[in-house]
Amino acid sequence: MTRFFKHLILLLIVVIWVLPFLALVTTSLRSETASKTSGFWTAFTPTVLGHRFGTHDRDNTEPFVTMSGNIFERLNEDKESFIVSGEVQSIMFTGRVPDPEKPGKTKLIRQLIYAGEPMDVRDGDFVFQSNGDFVWTFPEATAPKPKNLDAFINQDPVFGTDAYVEVLFENENVPNALISSFIVTIPATIIPITIAAFAAYAFAWMRFPGRDWLFVLVVSLMVVPTQLAFLPVLQGFSGIASWATALNAWMTDCEATKTCQVASKSFASLWITHTAFGLPLAIYLLRNYIVGLPKELLESARIDGASHLKIFTRLIIPLSVPALASFSIFQFLWVWNDLIVALYIGPADSSDLVFPIRLQKQLGTFKDQLHLLNASAVISIIVPLIVFLSMQRYFIRGLLAGSVKGG
Amino acid sequence: MARVSLKGVNKSFGKVEVIRDVDLEINDGEFVVFVGPSGCGKSTLLRLISGLENLSSGEIYIADRPVMDLPPSKRGIAMVFQSYALYPHMTVFHNMAFSLDLEGKNKKEIRERVEAAAKILQMEHLLDRRPAALSGGQRQRVAIGRAIVRNPDVFLFDEPLSNLDAALRHDTRVEIAKLHRQLEATTIYVTHDQVEAMTLADKIVVLKDGEVMQVGAPMELFHHPANEFVAGFLGSPKMNFFDGVLSAADASQGSFRGEGLELDDVRLVSTNKVNGEQIRLGIRPQHMVLDPAGQLTGTVTLVEQLGTESVLELITDNNTPFRFATPDMVDIKVGQQASFSFNLQSAHLF
Repeated sequence: MTRFFKHLILLLIVVIWVLPFLALVTTSLRSETASKTSGFWTAFTPTVLGHRFGTHDRDNTEPFVTMSGNIFERLNEDKESFIVSGEVQSIMFTGRVPDPEKPGKTKLIRQLIYAGEPMDVRDGDFVFQSNGDFVWTFPEATAPKPKNLDAFINQDPVFGTDAYVEVLFENENVPNALISSFIVTIPATIIPITIAAFAAYAFAWMRFPGRDWLFVLVVSLMVVPTQLAFLPVLQGFSGIASWATALNAWMTDCEATKTCQVASKSFASLWITHTAFGLPLAIYLLRNYIVGLPKELLESARIDGASHLKIFTRLIIPLSVPALASFSIFQFLWVWNDLIVALYIGPADSSDLVFPIRLQKQLGTFKDQLHLLNASAVISIIVPLIVFLSMQRYFIRGLLAGSVKGG
Repeated sequence: MARVSLKGVNKSFGKVEVIRDVDLEINDGEFVVFVGPSGCGKSTLLRLISGLENLSSGEIYIADRPVMDLPPSKRGIAMVFQSYALYPHMTVFHNMAFSLDLEGKNKKEIRERVEAAAKILQMEHLLDRRPAALSGGQRQRVAIGRAIVRNPDVFLFDEPLSNLDAALRHDTRVEIAKLHRQLEATTIYVTHDQVEAMTLADKIVVLKDGEVMQVGAPMELFHHPANEFVAGFLGSPKMNFFDGVLSAADASQGSFRGEGLELDDVRLVSTNKVNGEQIRLGIRPQHMVLDPAGQLTGTVTLVEQLGTESVLELITDNNTPFRFATPDMVDIKVGQQASFSFNLQSAHLF
């Protein structure tokens, strides 16, 4: 029984976590109308939706006695995606019929006409079937104007990638944001992990005075909130930037073209900031992993003549792959999803905005175009997902098997 | 020539003295075993020689070179660890080639030397495997191979057999002995197992609390232990000890009175004792014989039949426990009395 509850709770957690992603993906794959008019959960089952169709084209003025056509053909005439299919349930008839209460007069009625029932359209007899076929018959050859009718169709689920095509190809915002995010994230992951690996080895296996105190100091830096540091960090960067500007003016002939100004908010300042704030955790995690590697392995390497650098590159790095991979994922996700640091310290040019800032801006521009917003969101989710899944194979259990007893 | 000399070697961790004033001469090609109970400092002494630990004071010479300031790799030593310490991400070949690779030897020479070492250990077929795919015995063999490849002046073994099961331990022990005969390299071997010590060593160094108790050939230590500790440590079952009083002592012999025993002219090991002082008589269980007229009498408390040997545990009237071991089958039950005599040549006074 407890087992059942455990599974139930587990299932519940999984559902709660997966549901928003499912909602995002579903909405992004629906048509604009569908996403506006109904919830994502209705997208998987047939739903009754109203569609307006014209009986024939406006330039078709040839007189006829009987015209036959198909509602779905009419509806899908100009469409390449989100093809409507399903079953026509009824058509909303709007027109005048003889008034039974006042003989000789007519009254305006709105009435649902079901498949197979005749309906008076522009004085012709209009009959449709649930598969969409309709026949429009007149007593004599006529050339009526096209009539727009509202059909209620029990519509099959339909999905399309139009939203993705639109956000990715119709303007450069999302592609630019993707590129910017990669420019920020990749160095901001690789730089701290490289530094941290060296530092972690030193903290774990090299003897130097004050090692433990330094380690405690580094780890305690984890408690410094990023937000607290914005002001000094920004001041620092603008100091460096003005210094670089002066150097630029002195070293090059930029003054002629007025291009001396070096921006204080740039990709580089993001790399440095993310590195700085990622390092304490990275050093902490990696040191704790590396210190757990068997001492005899390192001693054996020392006897074999390996220097600290060789021990590091030939033993520690290959054996720390799981820890390195898990921290990379950590850092990648944190930097990729970071909004606030990028907002304050990242480059401000529209083309250099990283993904979270772009998403935030889209909230304004796409406020009632949920499908576009969601498509962008899904794109921004898919990248870390790919990173995670591809790094996952480095979480190798038993990497140390066979090295020492019981290993 | 790879002699190893230790002169006044001391090592302390903080205030704890682990090694105290060890002087030791190890000759070229000698197989020396450091043996002692756990915590006696035998592994530390080995690590001091290897350079994995730094001396507190003293001097170490390997091949007549002072090595105190040299890193492990420059001391001309190779070490085999108890836990094998193989590099798990490398194949056996690369495990063995690692040191040569670091020395910058060319590929051809590395291959030749690794293959030569693999041939000595009959493990050419294992070269492409990873350590994880090897059995315990094979792993230990790779660890030994890794040492051989370096062609060291001195081999250091740190309890290399402790992680193997009993049968494999015996085989590997025989192999190490053969290997030593083949390579004729100076070898220092640390173990707590006296059987390994007795069978492998040219010379045994018995350590206790960081001090050398006795150095000598196995049989010398067995028959002429320098003190009670060595006498009690070597030999299985342990030597029996009886309390008594010394009398009629001269430089090398004395008389023993105690436990109903009256023995004269027993070899006196502790020469600083004087007449009338408390002394202990040591006699090995194997050196006693069942003799109804014997002076030593006890009640049997346990009989162990090992097949090759029978061991009786007994207790004297003064509640001193002792053992008797004989290759013969004995027909004595628990609770019975038995009497023993023994050759005074094999008794010691401590």
